[in-house]
Amino acid sequence: MTALQQIPGRPLRKEKVVIRLLLLGLAGTTIYALATLDFGGIDMAEAVRDTLANLKIIFLHPGGPRLSFLSALEEVIITLGLAFLTTLFGGIIALFLGLLGAQNLSPKPVTVVVMALVALIRAVPTILWVLIFAVAAGLGSTAAVVGMTFHSISYLTKAYAESFEDLDRSVIEALKASGANWWQIVFQAVIPSSFSYLLSWTFLRFEINFANAVAMGAAAGASGVGFDLFMASGFYFDLREVGLITYIILAFAMALEAAATRAKGRIKHAG
Amino acid sequence: MTQVSQFPGRPLLSGRPLLEVSQLVKRYDAGKPALDGISFSIRKGEFVSVIGPSGAGKSTLLRCINRMIEATSGEVSFEGASVGLLDRKNLKRLRSKIGMIFQHYNLVERLTVIENVLHGRLGAKSTLAGAAGHYSREEKRQATEVIAMLGLSDHLYQRCDRLSGGQKQRVGIARALLQDPRMILCDEPIASLDPNASRNIMEQLKRFSQEMDIALIVNLHQVNVACKYSDRILGVNAGRLVFDGRPEELTPEKISQIYGAESRSLTAELGEQYAS
Repeated sequence: MTALQQIPGRPLRKEKVVIRLLLLGLAGTTIYALATLDFGGIDMAEAVRDTLANLKIIFLHPGGPRLSFLSALEEVIITLGLAFLTTLFGGIIALFLGLLGAQNLSPKPVTVVVMALVALIRAVPTILWVLIFAVAAGLGSTAAVVGMTFHSISYLTKAYAESFEDLDRSVIEALKASGANWWQIVFQAVIPSSFSYLLSWTFLRFEINFANAVAMGAAAGASGVGFDLFMASGFYFDLREVGLITYIILAFAMALEAAATRAKGRIKHAG
Repeated sequence: MTQVSQFPGRPLLSGRPLLEVSQLVKRYDAGKPALDGISFSIRKGEFVSVIGPSGAGKSTLLRCINRMIEATSGEVSFEGASVGLLDRKNLKRLRSKIGMIFQHYNLVERLTVIENVLHGRLGAKSTLAGAAGHYSREEKRQATEVIAMLGLSDHLYQRCDRLSGGQKQRVGIARALLQDPRMILCDEPIASLDPNASRNIMEQLKRFSQEMDIALIVNLHQVNVACKYSDRILGVNAGRLVFDGRPEELTPEKISQIYGAESRSLTAELGEQYAS
């Protein structure tokens, strides 16, 4: 057993040294920033106490004199509609772009161009796209739908293309060798193989779009429950209503999550 | 056998061979060519094995026949038509007449057995009908019949990822048969299978070749298997055809010519085969 007595240490490689130095530097600047931060005249203890009191009102005493339950429901459904529409448009367009972006389905130059384009779109946040489109469409639901669709396309194109690439090239070769053409291979082999992935990604994007739709209601005036939240907090300063709306959004988000999980489970078992 | 009559008869090409390959060359890059002037011809219903060491060009040879790989020079003609000159549409038609079977089966694993087998019809269908997966009653009947012939009736609606290797390969054969092919190209069909499954697959191939008059070109690693089932054997080494003859003519000297240095153990294997 002499061979085991002395295990040579793993050699210290260059990347490792760089990462360690970087972490050390970041830790140093963080400590320095906290130590020298100017708090203004704020009494920290009082600030924390007030924040907690506000949070208590929001979460423990929700309710709203202005907002009836039915009208709140209506507003949530508008927000859901915004999320649904943008996911649907995004999904359909991304399906075709994803086919063009998948390396096992399209020639290399096409995939490079498509993937670079969607990466560029994805790098800009959704809210900025909405504001950019608001220049042409004006603030409101149109700009929100176009802007959110734009970002959904780029997100789903990448996700779909990677799902399509999961199918082995050799399967595509086999079908090609039997005389099948590109469209037949796509619809008979590629999409059936990646269907559960496509579904997962689409549901995930739907959840993201729901959250975005709430934010767009406030930021871009796209109506829906986000706009009510904005009015309750910024205009009426009614913390109890903020709490009520937060709970409604939370309930819907959880219902969506549960529905998505069930749908995915059913698809997996059916396959 | 009654099954044979259910497939439409095909015209007899008297005299002319089904497939003619002449002076086929494939060069991937500046280096040594993968195929270096290969010529042979195949008759209707003939069972031909291609043997040779790994990297000798066996797979490239198969794929140059249906132009999955474009040859650098030389000619392939199938049923009298020059394969190299076909346009897209006619190339698709040609490929639909040539089945192909692979070492790793290459099935769509998430689909059922019958869905995979029906893929064999795609080449004969319009783009729209094929993409929509719309198969006629007759096509479905043929598919179930072929599946029954291969003994997979119990697994008709089972997903392919639940099957064993041998069963998957039988699905692969069924898919190729549903093309109603004149010829099937088999790329190492038994290289991933255990001995029992291998024997089963080879026997099925032999049977279909005889009963349905389908020509087979089979890339093989095992010399004894090639000798047992083939009408003819082609030996390939470094992209050149070094043997073309009946299994009886494959002497140990010929084998060492095909396999070069690694031949000794193979010759021993062959000796055992004949001894038993």
